[in-house]
Amino acid sequence: MFSAELFTQSLIAGIVIGIIYALMALGITFIYSIVKMINWAMGEFYMLGSFVQYFLVVGLLGPDLWWVAALLSAAAVFLVGWLIEPVLIKPMFTGGIERRDDYATVVTIALLLLMRNLATALNGPYQRSPGTNLGTVMLGPLPESGARLAAALCALAAMVLFWVLLKKTWLGLALRASSQSRVGVQIAGVDILRLDQVAFGIGVGLAGVAGALLAPVFLVFPTNGVVTTTKGFEIIVIGGLGSIPGAVVAGILLGVAESLGAAFISSPYQNAYGFVLLLAVLLIKPSGLFGERMRHA
Amino acid sequence: MSALSARRLWLPILLALACAAAILVLSRFLGEYGVHVLNTSLYYVILAASWNVLAGFTGRFSLAHQAFAAIGAYTSGLLATRYDLPLWVTIPAAVLAAILLGFLLGRLVLRMRAVYLAIATWAFAETIHILLTAAYAITRGELGLSVPPVFSDMDPRSYLYLFTGLAVVSVLGLHAFVRSPLGYFMRAIRDDELRAQSLGVDTVAIKTLVFTVTSGVAGLAGAFYGHYVVVLSPQIADFSEMAKIIVMVVVGGFGSFVGPLIGAPPVQILSSYLAKYGEWDMVIFAVVVIGFMRFNPGGLVDLVRAGWRRVRPTRS
Repeated sequence: MFSAELFTQSLIAGIVIGIIYALMALGITFIYSIVKMINWAMGEFYMLGSFVQYFLVVGLLGPDLWWVAALLSAAAVFLVGWLIEPVLIKPMFTGGIERRDDYATVVTIALLLLMRNLATALNGPYQRSPGTNLGTVMLGPLPESGARLAAALCALAAMVLFWVLLKKTWLGLALRASSQSRVGVQIAGVDILRLDQVAFGIGVGLAGVAGALLAPVFLVFPTNGVVTTTKGFEIIVIGGLGSIPGAVVAGILLGVAESLGAAFISSPYQNAYGFVLLLAVLLIKPSGLFGERMRHA
Repeated sequence: MSALSARRLWLPILLALACAAAILVLSRFLGEYGVHVLNTSLYYVILAASWNVLAGFTGRFSLAHQAFAAIGAYTSGLLATRYDLPLWVTIPAAVLAAILLGFLLGRLVLRMRAVYLAIATWAFAETIHILLTAAYAITRGELGLSVPPVFSDMDPRSYLYLFTGLAVVSVLGLHAFVRSPLGYFMRAIRDDELRAQSLGVDTVAIKTLVFTVTSGVAGLAGAFYGHYVVVLSPQIADFSEMAKIIVMVVVGGFGSFVGPLIGAPPVQILSSYLAKYGEWDMVIFAVVVIGFMRFNPGGLVDLVRAGWRRVRPTRS
């Protein structure tokens, strides 16, 4: 049963949620471009962000100041990432260029295990909600949850900020350069290992923002990052590993695909449509929508 | 046949049989729960050893090993319950299903950079988990699917013979696989794929073969495990199972054939007896894994070797 109204509503809902997925994917692909590793614990930083948001909103600021809480959560997650990187990730590099990929994979999976189980041990399996005072917003004739819309707008703002940082600042220049050549950046006198530290912090900070913004929508519990992270991974394959526009476009595409799939095909399988999209892209254009042609290393 | 190659052929078989005998003797001193823990340890030995062949020897990470075990368990379980087929039909069918899915997934992603396999298998495993939960009309979702047991008496001791035999056969098979000429190609791919390619190795074919074979082994272990635990739930496809396999391999010795064999049982035994304290066992294992990766990446095998080297000179 096709109705134009349901279609438009699903489309908008898909774009709204897709923007937040894109934020997650952006964090993954950004860390990959600079530090040359996949951070498998991304969902746990998302979880951390949502817990900080919960405790700030419930214990300190109240639901009206959710945006202050989201900023603080992002800063807190950035700081945690910035502090963890030199201890756990840096030993992957010997001399800044030679790297051990298996080390990074295993260590970030261990970090995932550590954070997830620590959260379960401390919090229990309870699902918490920070609550929200944002009511339903009418987009023309169509209702949309205020919390979701606010989350999407803030995610857009975070992306713009991220883009300004990359394109307009010295740090951004150095980061873009190191994504092209780790050797070249070092020859130019930049301390690549400090750059890695900042990049890792920013990347997990983006996951933290996503977690904080989605806290009232998807609730707060120790494994709440799994679904969003899986979508993040699907998005970077669909969009092309290492491509920032790819992450944004593919994020919205995935959000729309699963929203329409849930409305018109079957809703229990909502979280499986992303994988179907991933398979389709791998069959047709393996390097992803915006991916460069395959290069080794 | 020279003496050396005869030794190479018989030594692993003798060692495996000796270990099997030791396990069976040990089980005489254990209660029913102890034997159950041994059975599950042997299941994880198979999973850890096969995952290590892919990750440790070929340098390609699959994060869906637990999903292939789940595919094996559910395929065999569903065929047996819905179509009343005997287990000697359903278990080979389950292995075939795991092999087929492994081959298709491998064909899609193994042409690309190494990280693609890890990402795609992560998404694949999550999707299998979602499907098992969502298709409750078929799989009964979180309620659990009751499947027939292998032995009617349900005594863990009879299963101990089964799992010991299964572990011996799988481990010897994997050992032959790694020691065959293909094993050299696998290590060449791990160390420098581009160089292996330029020397004429069909790296994509080798990687696909290894991924398919190891996924099939996981499916085999999962199929038997399903008919042992008798109630299947989507939990066996959860990422925590994958993480446990990685913990076992790293603790034992990543990239060493013996590593997972000596890493899996202590991890499984500890986590079985620490289960009553909640999630803390996994917190501890995570810290141990980070410690090993950071300061002793060779795992227990390396520690034992280092200890042996310190002891030996005083003896001779």
